[in-house]
Amino acid sequence: MIKMFDSTSQMMRQVIYALILGIGATYFFLGWGIIMQIILAMIVAIVVESVFLKIRKLPIKHAISDGSAALTGILLAISIPSIAPWWIVVIGVSFAIIFGKQLYGGLGSNPFNPAMLGYAFLLISYPLQMSTWAIEFVNFGQAFDVIFNINHNPMIDALSGATRLDDVKNQLALGKIMSELNAYSVAQSWVNIGFLLGGLYLLARRVIFWQIPTAFLSGIILTAFLLSMVDSENYLPVQNHLMLGGTMLGVFFIATDPVSASTTPKGRLIYGFLIGILIVVIRTFGGYPDGIAFAILLVNITVPLIDYYTQPKVFGK
Amino acid sequence: MVNYTFKGGIHINSPHLAEKLVVKQVPPPEQAVLLLQQKVGGEATPCVQIGDKVLTGQVIAKTLGRYSANIHASISGVVSAIEKRLIPHPSGINGICIVIDSDGKDKWIEIGKYDQDFKNYTPDEVIQKIHEAGVIGMGGAGFPTYTKISNVQDVNTLIVNATECEPGIMCDDSLMQEYSSDIIRGTEVLMYACGSYNSIIAIEDDKQEAYQSLLMSNHNDNISIVQIPVKYTSGAEKILIKILLGIEIPSGEFASDHGVLCQNVATVKAIYDAVIYNKPLVSRIVTVTGSAVKEPRNYEVRLGTSFASVVMQSKPNSNPHNIRIGGMMMGVDVPSVQYPICKITNCIFVNNIKPKSSVQSCIRCGQCNKVCPVGLLPQQLFWYAKSENIDRAMDYNLKDCFECRCCDVVCPSHIPLVKYFSFAKALHSKQTIERQKTDMARERFEFKEYRIERNKTERTDMMAKKKEELKNKMAEDKAQKDKILQAIVRVERSKKG
Repeated sequence: MIKMFDSTSQMMRQVIYALILGIGATYFFLGWGIIMQIILAMIVAIVVESVFLKIRKLPIKHAISDGSAALTGILLAISIPSIAPWWIVVIGVSFAIIFGKQLYGGLGSNPFNPAMLGYAFLLISYPLQMSTWAIEFVNFGQAFDVIFNINHNPMIDALSGATRLDDVKNQLALGKIMSELNAYSVAQSWVNIGFLLGGLYLLARRVIFWQIPTAFLSGIILTAFLLSMVDSENYLPVQNHLMLGGTMLGVFFIATDPVSASTTPKGRLIYGFLIGILIVVIRTFGGYPDGIAFAILLVNITVPLIDYYTQPKVFGK
Repeated sequence: MVNYTFKGGIHINSPHLAEKLVVKQVPPPEQAVLLLQQKVGGEATPCVQIGDKVLTGQVIAKTLGRYSANIHASISGVVSAIEKRLIPHPSGINGICIVIDSDGKDKWIEIGKYDQDFKNYTPDEVIQKIHEAGVIGMGGAGFPTYTKISNVQDVNTLIVNATECEPGIMCDDSLMQEYSSDIIRGTEVLMYACGSYNSIIAIEDDKQEAYQSLLMSNHNDNISIVQIPVKYTSGAEKILIKILLGIEIPSGEFASDHGVLCQNVATVKAIYDAVIYNKPLVSRIVTVTGSAVKEPRNYEVRLGTSFASVVMQSKPNSNPHNIRIGGMMMGVDVPSVQYPICKITNCIFVNNIKPKSSVQSCIRCGQCNKVCPVGLLPQQLFWYAKSENIDRAMDYNLKDCFECRCCDVVCPSHIPLVKYFSFAKALHSKQTIERQKTDMARERFEFKEYRIERNKTERTDMMAKKKEELKNKMAEDKAQKDKILQAIVRVERSKKG
C-alpha cells in the first residue's frame, strides 16, 4: 500500500464530495429545503467551532480547515427534515459541536458521533418539528418561508407528512398487515441509492474500510430476514429496511466516522453488525420510527471495549 | 519468486536512483577520525598513543568485552589526538575518537600469511579472524559479527540480507554488482564458520543487475538466491525470516533461537576480505543521495573520512540542508556534516529543508494499522502514549514496535507517531526502574518496621522472663533463708535444751 492521503482535510473533502449524489436526489424529490439547511448548518458549525476554539485559545484557522466541523453540520442537515424551522438546525448543530465535540477535546477525542448526538437531542426535545417531513417538491420561495418564518406557516401542512417508516409503523400498530400497506417510497429509494453510490465511491477511494458497511448491512439484512421469517405480515421486509429512512446514509457516512467507530479490523465488523441489528430492533419495537442515531450512539459506547478485545494478532504471537 | 510475503509495509518510490551505480573511489583523507564506540556495546581500548606512527590496517584500539570491535587505522600517518569528538548521533553527543593525520603514503601494514582456502582453518579460527578484522553488522545495526556468529548454535539456515529495502540506499546494490563472486565466496565462509548447510541470499526484485551478477557467480547448490517483491521493511531481520522461512519470531526471542543467522551483504563482503586476505575493515561503500545533491552516487570511502568531503563530491546545492544518516525511513537526522564516516554509515541523505506539514488531530482513520508490519494499532498506541497511560500502551503491545515509521508516512494528520512511541518506551523503562526502586524501598521499610516490632517483643519477652527468673530466685532465696532461720532456731533450741 502506498500513501493514500496527504491530509485529514483531504479525507473530509472526499466524504463531502461523496454526499453530493444523495443530496442531489433529495433536492430532486423534496426541493430547496435541503440546500438551505446544509448552508445554514455549515455556517453555524463553523461559527460555533470558531467561538469555542477561541475560548479554548486554539488556532482557529488550522482547525476549521480540516473540514470536520463543516462535515458534522452537513450530516446533521441531511438527517433532519428538510423543512424544519431554522432554529432546529441552529440548536442541533450547536449542540453537536459543543457537547458532541469541543467539550470532549475537539476532533478525534469525541466518543460519540457529534451529528448523531445533535440529532438525538433534537428528536427528544422537538419531536413535532423533527417528524414533519416534506412530501413533495418545495420550491425556493416556499422553502425560505417555512424555514425562516418564525410563525407557524399554514402552507407547511400541505407540504408535509410523516415518513414512510413512520406511516408503516402507525398502520401496523392499528392492526393492519403488510400486504395492505404501501411500504415503498420512490423518493426515499432514490435518496438511498444516491448515498449508496457515494458510499461505494468512498470505498473505492479507501476513505472508509469495507468492514463497517458490510457488517452493518449484514446486521440489517439478517435481523430483518429473521423477523419476516417469523411473521411476514407484521414486520417490514428486508428490502424496505434498506431503502427507507436514513439507512444508506448511516451505513456509509455516519457509522464509518472513524473517530467514534471501532478501529480494529475485527472490531469494525462487530461494531457494524451491532448497529445493523439495533436499527431493525429500534424501528420494529422502539418508540421512534427510525433508529439510526440511537443505534449508532449506543454502539459508540461499546467501542473501547470492542477495540481492546479485538486487537489484531501481533507478529510472532 | 517466493510466495511468502508479510502483512503491512509500504511501497515508496526511491527518490533518486543513481544512473551510474559504479562505485567511485575516494582517495584516503588528510585526516581520519576513528570512533571507538560502535552503535552497540562499549568503547574499544586504544593501544596507541599520541605521536605514534601507524600504518594502514594497524590495530589502534582493541575489543573490550564481547560487544565492541577492533579498530584499525584507515590511513597511515601519525596519531595526533585521542579525544572526544562529535559523533553521528541525533542528540549531538561526543565519543572518544582516535585522530590520525595522514603522511600521504597510505602505507599498509604487513599482512600476515593468508590461505585462500578457508577450509584449512577451523571454524573457530575463521571466527577469530573475523573478530580481529573488526567486522560488525554493516547494514546499520553495528552488532559485532563474531559475537553474533558465536552466539548461534545449530544454525540450519544462513540468510544473507541483500534486500536493501530502505528507499534511497543503493550501496549494497553496487557492492553486489562489483563483488558478486566475493559475496558468494563470503557466504561460503560464513556457512563454514557457523556450520550451516543452507543459505539464502535475499534480494529485492528491483535490483535485476545485482541479481543477475550474483546468479552468474554462484556455483554452489547450497546457496539459493531469492528475489522478493519490493516492499519496505522486508529487510528487517524478523520480517525477512517470515518472508523466506515463514517463521514468525516473537519479540523477546532472537533469530538464533530458531537456528537462523542473518547477515547483511556488506558484512559478508567484509568477512570475505577478513578471512581470505586478512584484510581488516578500513573502508566501506557509502551512498550519498537526497534532493539537494546533483549527483547522487556510491563512494568507496576510508573510515574516518569526514561526511563533508564525500558530500561535496556529489555537488550539493548551496541551500541549507537536512542531513540524515542511514535510510530515508529509519535513519537519524543530524545537525551538520561535521562527522566521520563509521563502519555503519551506509547512506547520507542530503535533502532540501521542506516546510513541515502541520500536525492535525488523529481521527483514528486506521491507515496506520493497515501498514504496520507487526500488526499493531498505532492510533491506540498514540492515544495512550500521548496521555502517558503507559500500562495501557503496553497492553497494546507497544514493545513490539521496531520503529519502521510506516505509520508516520501514511498518517494523513502528519502525526510523528514513532516519536511518541519511543518516548513512551523510554517512559516505560523509567517507570519500571522507578517501580523496582520503590518496591525495594517499600520492602526495606517494611522489614525495618518488622525488625523494630520484633526487637520490641523480644525485649519485653526477655524482660518478662527475667522478672520471672528474679521472682523465682527471690522465692528460692527466701526459702533458703527460711531454712537457715529454722536451722538457727533448731540449734538455739537444742542449746537451750
